[in-house]
Amino acid sequence: MKKIERLLVANRGVSAVRVMHTCRDRNIPTTAVYSTPDHLGYHVVMADKAVNIGEAPPAESYLNMENILQAAFQTGSDAIHPGWGFLAENADFARMVQDAGLIWVGPPPELISKLGDKAQARKMAVAAGVPIIPGTEDVNTVDDALAWLDDSGVDYPIMIKAASGGGGRGLVRVDRAEDLEQALSQARSEAEKAFGSGILILEKFILNARHIEVQILVDQSGNAVHLYERECTIQRRNQKVIEEAPSPSLDEDLRHEICGQAIALVNSIGYHSVGTVEFILDSDTGKYYFLEVNTRLQVEHGLTELTTGYDLVGLMIDVAEGKSLEITQDDVQPNRWAIEVRLNAEDPETFGPSFGTITRLRTPDGPNLRVATGIYQGASVPPYYDSLLMLIMSAGHDRERALKVMDRALGRSLRVEGVKTLKPLLMSIIRHPAFREGDFSTRFIDKNIQDLVKAFREPTAEDEILNVAKYIAEVSALGPRSWV
Amino acid sequence: MSNNPVFKPGMSPAEIVRKVRSLPGVAITSTGMRDAGQSDFKNRLRIHDQKTLTPHYERMDLFSAEVHGGARWHVGLLNRRESPFEETTILRERMPSVLLQTLIRETSLWGYRPYPRNVIEYVVSQVDIDVWRCFSFLNDVRNMRTICEVVMGRGLLFEPAVSFTQADWATNDYYLGVVGDMVSLCGGVDEIVLCIKDMAGVGSPERIRELIDTILQKYPDMVVQYHRHSTDGLALPALLAAAQAGARLLDAQEDSLTRFYGQAPIMSLHAYLEEAGIPVLLNRSEAGAAVQKARDWVRQYEWAESPFKGFDHNVIEHRMPGGAFPSSFEQAEAGGFLHLMPQILQVMSLYNRIVHYFDVTPGSQMTWVTCSGTVNRYAKEFGLAGVNRLIALLKKFIEEVDQDLDRLDPEEKDELMEFFVTAPGDFKNLLIGRYGKLPAGWPDDWVYQSAFGDQWEEKLAERSEDSPLDALEDEDLDTMRAELAARLEWDPSEEEFILYLMHPKDTIDMIEFREDYGQSPMVLPTSVWHSGLVRPGEKVDFRMRDKPHTVELVSVGEEHDGYITVVLRINNQTQVFSVETPNVIKTEIRMARSDSDVGSPITGSVWRLGNPRRGGIAGGDIVHEGEEIANIEAMKMENAIVAPFNGRIAQICVGLNESVVENQLLFVLEEE
Repeated sequence: MKKIERLLVANRGVSAVRVMHTCRDRNIPTTAVYSTPDHLGYHVVMADKAVNIGEAPPAESYLNMENILQAAFQTGSDAIHPGWGFLAENADFARMVQDAGLIWVGPPPELISKLGDKAQARKMAVAAGVPIIPGTEDVNTVDDALAWLDDSGVDYPIMIKAASGGGGRGLVRVDRAEDLEQALSQARSEAEKAFGSGILILEKFILNARHIEVQILVDQSGNAVHLYERECTIQRRNQKVIEEAPSPSLDEDLRHEICGQAIALVNSIGYHSVGTVEFILDSDTGKYYFLEVNTRLQVEHGLTELTTGYDLVGLMIDVAEGKSLEITQDDVQPNRWAIEVRLNAEDPETFGPSFGTITRLRTPDGPNLRVATGIYQGASVPPYYDSLLMLIMSAGHDRERALKVMDRALGRSLRVEGVKTLKPLLMSIIRHPAFREGDFSTRFIDKNIQDLVKAFREPTAEDEILNVAKYIAEVSALGPRSWV
Repeated sequence: MSNNPVFKPGMSPAEIVRKVRSLPGVAITSTGMRDAGQSDFKNRLRIHDQKTLTPHYERMDLFSAEVHGGARWHVGLLNRRESPFEETTILRERMPSVLLQTLIRETSLWGYRPYPRNVIEYVVSQVDIDVWRCFSFLNDVRNMRTICEVVMGRGLLFEPAVSFTQADWATNDYYLGVVGDMVSLCGGVDEIVLCIKDMAGVGSPERIRELIDTILQKYPDMVVQYHRHSTDGLALPALLAAAQAGARLLDAQEDSLTRFYGQAPIMSLHAYLEEAGIPVLLNRSEAGAAVQKARDWVRQYEWAESPFKGFDHNVIEHRMPGGAFPSSFEQAEAGGFLHLMPQILQVMSLYNRIVHYFDVTPGSQMTWVTCSGTVNRYAKEFGLAGVNRLIALLKKFIEEVDQDLDRLDPEEKDELMEFFVTAPGDFKNLLIGRYGKLPAGWPDDWVYQSAFGDQWEEKLAERSEDSPLDALEDEDLDTMRAELAARLEWDPSEEEFILYLMHPKDTIDMIEFREDYGQSPMVLPTSVWHSGLVRPGEKVDFRMRDKPHTVELVSVGEEHDGYITVVLRINNQTQVFSVETPNVIKTEIRMARSDSDVGSPITGSVWRLGNPRRGGIAGGDIVHEGEEIANIEAMKMENAIVAPFNGRIAQICVGLNESVVENQLLFVLEEE
């Protein structure tokens, strides 16, 4: 048992700020690290100390392991929390942290490494008796892929994945034999760039898939509990957009079965810290398959915190400090419905990234809301990083009421000016009849994009006054317009 | 307070006509919200101000209020950035008891070209107006048929208007012929009002008395309305003469809006007629209140007034209509030829003795463009002396040699033959009958030779006497609607579509303006609409969607690199705007436009040109459909750019590692 005296958060934006909130609750001083363009970032403002770790490109800063360790030494930090993204699932970094005598707030490095390799993860799942999607590992050529298709009898569509991937990168769907070659080369190239390894795996692609994941928590002695599931089916390009807990797709029996499978898996491999076991549920057959284990805090962990009342970052720190779990499975009693939307700085129609300065920001407030933000009014959104600006979570006693709170938050309160955000798309989704009825799959956005976009044209009172003010500004600066 | 008006929406045309006949004297159409603004303020009077008159109109006992049509429609889109549909909605709500009146240009509706029957039917059947005053610049009554059928079919009042001028050919018999055509078109005199439209203000009091008397002798039950501009300075006596001859409806406007080219002042008209023993249906105190109310805002429109002020009795020669006065002078001022106006007006006086039609839209535009263009051409080439030589030549041709070309000297003849060379296309269409029959016959052959050169005989053979209603093919409305939907990227409303049918480009511009600037035209006071906020600390208060708003100017910065920083406080929140000036230097980004252009699907950076198998790519390379030719990275995701068809790279428009925006042109391909 070793108490953490100062925690370095090796991340930026929403993720770093989230970790720092818990540190404040526990009176743990924090160190922020930042790249040069982030020197006025919200996580820097939040931290007690802050160290510049390099220039804008992630490889020079947030992925620069030496500089981050140096920053820890320099500020007297004795522990590192990686947040999510960047180095959160980098086993080498976790090992370096531990080798340097610091506390790694996360799972054991060797498990990060094994579970991060999709092929190995599938083997571990099979060993633990967890069902997996039909697939093949170690595909190098088109011929390898064709041979597997022949042998297994699996038909298109299929999915190509980076063996060491995650977060939707290096994923390519193939619908026709003609596209196989180009898809393989694209996936390999993306995988190399994002994860440093071009090893690919192929899997059957499930057409009407729903994405279910189980939050688990294990201490260093192997005491494990699950904190029930979340559903993250609303995605675009394999990036989650809207998540909720509990899943509207599961009945009680299936819920207990899936959660039990997740516990069985982590128990069989000696995992500790928080983690997420992801499953694909085939809505056509009701069958579920193991997808992967995320060996880190998830973006959407706040949903579980809302439904169960626990602070997952706090529990992660407890485990890292070597404390035994004080909660048993029976203590975990979710008692509400929670929904999260990811407010990204992106064009809601094309999903092209949008950057610039947040000229105005009003975050939603009122009953049953939680907002996790990485920005403030006046902050800049640089083009180099993830586009997540803010997580907005709503809660209610049932799904319908949680959705109403979200509608209020997005429609009546939230205001972001200066960059484009997904807000119009998020609004259209939560108002879409199929979504409200719980009838959707991972292809929901693609299938309904036209309907969703059509519902965008609804200016708010604030847009309207801003339009008028823009006219006043122009005519005040330039004088009477030539056409007037 | 009377709120039981004699005339109100919902009454049948027959009932309206019966009521007018039973009046002891005359009733008034107020043009304060349409022609008054057109004739003296270039149609710039905004609904935001005009709507303040509605409580008074509601109780004024008007026959009708002309609030719609004419050039107000187009100028609304172009300059006021408000739609006529918004205006009628506001007016209906605020003065539900007043008959709303429009002015419509037979087959040209509220546009400038003849529309086919199906467009006319579509548009006229959807506009919420009670009284439809319809004129033809050729007095070609055949062209009114479709509008007449739809309006009468809807149970609304149709008001055919005789375009009036004073000319040797414009005799009583001529006008009786026109009126006769109207009576037979409308099936008698019991469900229509006949308008004498003196759009230039040229009818002398005695001429008007005589004409109306002649008409009423032949059609004693006809309800006649006299519409007249003030340009010659004789509006009031002419209106009295009309009333004494039996006209029952007269047009007038707020005294405080009266300048020189619009209608007569309503309070003066009322007093003048009553003194002459003709009772006028009018709530004088409400009319006076409206006059006073208009005084509150009209001073904000000084910038919109004609640069040429004062009556102009010479209008009887040049015949420029009141509605065209301020805009013509504005064009002359903007074009730097205001000093040539006396000469242009003189040429107009002579021109209209060669080609006979009525100087009102679209004819007035043809006259203006032809005459101002010719005078400018002469001024540029030969100076003022040259212009005067042209005028002398035209005078000689008309006054001395009776328009006999052979009686001119050969070089004079050659010069005159140049007169119509630069005439606009619309004028050439007029010559070959595209607008209908000319009122006093086709011009002489030399006009065709001058306008069409070598092709004149062909063109003459093409000339048709048919009405455009019979000549024009129906348009495919579904295709046009789809075209608009594609432009807007949403399904247009009926109103957007009708605007588009009349003025396609200007409608798109107006809709885009409103997308950018929202309700500005509807909510801002005119001083701010025109000049903005001038001093720091100056505020504007307004209501929008039933809530109060305040915008305050904090500062306007100096121009820097083509931008001016403006700081406003919007409802107490500070907001900074970076306003682009005309000096801004823009690096032009080429966008993909045609099928052979390959654009970027996303904003990102070009990290590869070509593909791993073939390597790089160069201009002239052959590529195959579906082959990756570049790759754009954005947010760490790769996006393959594939060739849309088998072809050859004609041009590579970006460099490696260059940042590109969505739809930026990457390649131009050519078919193999």
